[in-house]
Amino acid sequence: MSTKDDNILTELAVEEYKYGFTTDIEMDIAKKGLSEDTVRFISAKKSEPEWLLEWRLKALKHFEKMSMPQWQNFKHPKVDFQDISYYAAPKEKPKVNSIDEVDPELLETFAKLGIPLDEQKILAGVVAVDAVFDSVSVKTTFREKLKEVGVIFCSFGEAVREYPELVKKYLGTVVPQTDNLYAALNAAVFSDGSFVYIPKGVNCPMELSTYFRINAQNTGQFERTLIVADEGSYVSYLEGCTAPMRDENQLHAAVVELIALDNAEIKYSTVQNWYPGDKNGIGGIYNFVTKRGICRGDNSKISWTQVETGSSITWKYPSVILKGDNSIGEFYSVALTRNHQIADTGSKMFHIGKNTRSKIVSKGISAGVSQNSYRGLVQIGKGAEKARNFTQCDSLLIGDRCGAHTFPYIEAKNKTAKLEHEATTSKIGEDQIFYLNQRGIDSEKAVELIVNGYAKEVLNQLPMEFAVEAQKLLAISLEGSVG
Amino acid sequence: MITQVSSSLYHQLTTVFDDGLAIKGDLEPLASLRRNAFARFQETGFPTLKDEDWKYTNLQPLLSKNYLLRDNLPGKSVSIEKAFIKGLNPYKLVLVNGHFRTDLSDVVDEQGVSIYSIEDIHQHKLSLRHFAQYADKTDNPLVALNTALHEGGLVIEIEKNITLRRSIQIIHVASSSETIFNQTRNLYLLGNNTKAEILESFITDDIGLSLNNTVSEVVLEENAHLQHYYLQTANSQSSYLNHTEIHQKKHSLYNNYNCTFPGSAFIRNNINVRLDDSAVESHLYGITLTAEDQLVDNHTIVDHRKPHCESYEWYKNITQNTSTAVFNGKIFVREDAQKTNAFQQNNNMLIGEKSTIFSKPQLEIFADDVKCSHGCTMGQFDDDALFYLRARGISEEKARVLLVHAFAFDVTEKFSSEPIREYVDHLIEEGLIIEQ
Repeated sequence: MSTKDDNILTELAVEEYKYGFTTDIEMDIAKKGLSEDTVRFISAKKSEPEWLLEWRLKALKHFEKMSMPQWQNFKHPKVDFQDISYYAAPKEKPKVNSIDEVDPELLETFAKLGIPLDEQKILAGVVAVDAVFDSVSVKTTFREKLKEVGVIFCSFGEAVREYPELVKKYLGTVVPQTDNLYAALNAAVFSDGSFVYIPKGVNCPMELSTYFRINAQNTGQFERTLIVADEGSYVSYLEGCTAPMRDENQLHAAVVELIALDNAEIKYSTVQNWYPGDKNGIGGIYNFVTKRGICRGDNSKISWTQVETGSSITWKYPSVILKGDNSIGEFYSVALTRNHQIADTGSKMFHIGKNTRSKIVSKGISAGVSQNSYRGLVQIGKGAEKARNFTQCDSLLIGDRCGAHTFPYIEAKNKTAKLEHEATTSKIGEDQIFYLNQRGIDSEKAVELIVNGYAKEVLNQLPMEFAVEAQKLLAISLEGSVG
Repeated sequence: MITQVSSSLYHQLTTVFDDGLAIKGDLEPLASLRRNAFARFQETGFPTLKDEDWKYTNLQPLLSKNYLLRDNLPGKSVSIEKAFIKGLNPYKLVLVNGHFRTDLSDVVDEQGVSIYSIEDIHQHKLSLRHFAQYADKTDNPLVALNTALHEGGLVIEIEKNITLRRSIQIIHVASSSETIFNQTRNLYLLGNNTKAEILESFITDDIGLSLNNTVSEVVLEENAHLQHYYLQTANSQSSYLNHTEIHQKKHSLYNNYNCTFPGSAFIRNNINVRLDDSAVESHLYGITLTAEDQLVDNHTIVDHRKPHCESYEWYKNITQNTSTAVFNGKIFVREDAQKTNAFQQNNNMLIGEKSTIFSKPQLEIFADDVKCSHGCTMGQFDDDALFYLRARGISEEKARVLLVHAFAFDVTEKFSSEPIREYVDHLIEEGLIIEQ
């Protein structure tokens, strides 16, 4: 590679992550360390009821008993749980009622991120946003309008205060405190998150969206999302994330629980763009997230779509438990890794009910010296008559020092099950690039075009506004990866 | 890591080893190989369900029995007719509980071929150089155990430029009136430009329970070609732990045909192919038909280490009754292995009401200029196909047999030998339980 290219690459390493700024804002940060006192401190800060504190403490006990998993396809980084601050929030000001009272610094931050918090300024008004800043919900827009149709969309803290029965009924029913190490940690120390309830028969009139932002140093972000879609309802939910550039690794251990009752449908989309670390692999977010949905009712449907371009390590398996008869689970994923990034991601589909169907489409793209793994489980239970699964996991390699891996687990215990799994690995063909070059498209644009074509099946699943953003994100992330 | 259940066999083995019985009069380097291997085995103990490679295969019930660790009736007569293949006239070599029985075996009168019991290996410099150099590099504790305590087994050495006129059939007979634990060790060396066909039949003859822990190392030098068949027809009294490690040099070709039929209660096959030179070709085919309570677990590793190699793997499972089939296929493509073509396919027919299939086709790729794909399907009898055949006056029973044959055909058509294909087709028909 010529020196000119090297220069461009160096510039890109600085330029490419455009959300890497920090916001100077007065913060309320808890002392580092994890203990019963930390949990009590967070619970007290949020003025939580006794049952929730008990629930958290139970989770902490489990966490302390658990050991680090060993099965993942990367070396687990050392995480010192005592060196993290478990609570960071913009300094408490009197409760805000209108947009004018929100700290202008904060508004500016979200404006930079392209998240319009100011309701009046949004003409189209199709997306309601819950902005989470260092794991505390700052502002939820369009609440009133949503309330008219009965949709509850608020921060987790508010939900605990205002709708305790609903929260109590569903919290931890899909991802119990004991599920895994990071789920237990989250249950013990989660500071906020979003809560959504769609009542019977309601088709949520707008896209709901959460925007996560890590700002403070040495903190971890632990938020919890709980979405309940009651009988016959529909909701589409989007999640986006960014963080400043720092040299140390920060931990993001979230839990997302989805519950779909009879005939309900939940569509959950993620565009994950946490800071991936610099080109030498220094810094970046550890994104260790537990996401799981349950199709509890008959004819219900849960669909996960994710575009993962950020984080130094992404480690998550959005899953669906297909309990109701005729229920459907879907998973669409594009995971792009480059430099020293690692992704170990995929999906799990548990078929329990009759005539359940699931589909997994996973597209991995690895460049640089990154490692990209697909790990998935399709399990057909004894009673899952006529269950059907289709899995496709493709890998695209850019460069000769990266890795692409697939670890599919397929378990069938019913003789009427039909499953298909296929995987391919390939690189971008020189002939493909040549073809585009001939038509006056430079190599970098050509790769962008080919990758977008490759990921199209997944990008098509995203709501339109997000699809455009995701395409741009893929393009930015690919810059400089063609030598 | 030794659990209570496995302690009985584990302690038995430790006692035997400590008594120095295994080492006997072994010369160096064999004695130290055994010692080191046993130390490795003791570090891990027997694998448990917590080990990723043994997730679906529980060894514990097998380990709680009280085994005879040495054949108490060497030299007894056994019947081997069960292993005969119509239309094929191979050199038959008989191993009873691992011991090479020259009295029951044919003499291989081919130039440049030497066949002897593994006990005589210290007299052969070449074999000694290869012995325990391949399988022992894996982390399978059962290989370590075999290296430490193996007794009996066969060495086949084929000198360069030799093409065998007839195939060699090794008949492994497990035969004891008591509960016996056999640890057989084989080594097959094929020199430059050799061609051979080796069949291994596994049969039982007697009423005792047997657990057979067999390790085979196969070395193919440049341009060597080997057709290697496993024909598993033992009865339900027997259990098998087979580990085969294949090491290939430039331009060599290795074909493995792994056929398992109803019978043996517990089978775990590890077949690992290391493509350690350029322009190597390997093919792994498997056909498994299970019935009753059988558990058949096939683990394969295809390890592409050098550029311009090709591998092709196709495994088919048909499970009946309450049986379980496990398939785990790993393909590694190392950084150096550019221009690799690797293909893997696993198809399953789940017929039994309570049968189970676990499949894990796995790819780990570190090079970019490669073509790799894998596929996996699970299904059952196609109602449309059945109806088509029934409409043409074919009985349901016959139609099902036809469909299973068709399913197996992708694999059986690859067989290099017509008589073996007919033999296997016949065994499939015999093993099918068609419910009326």
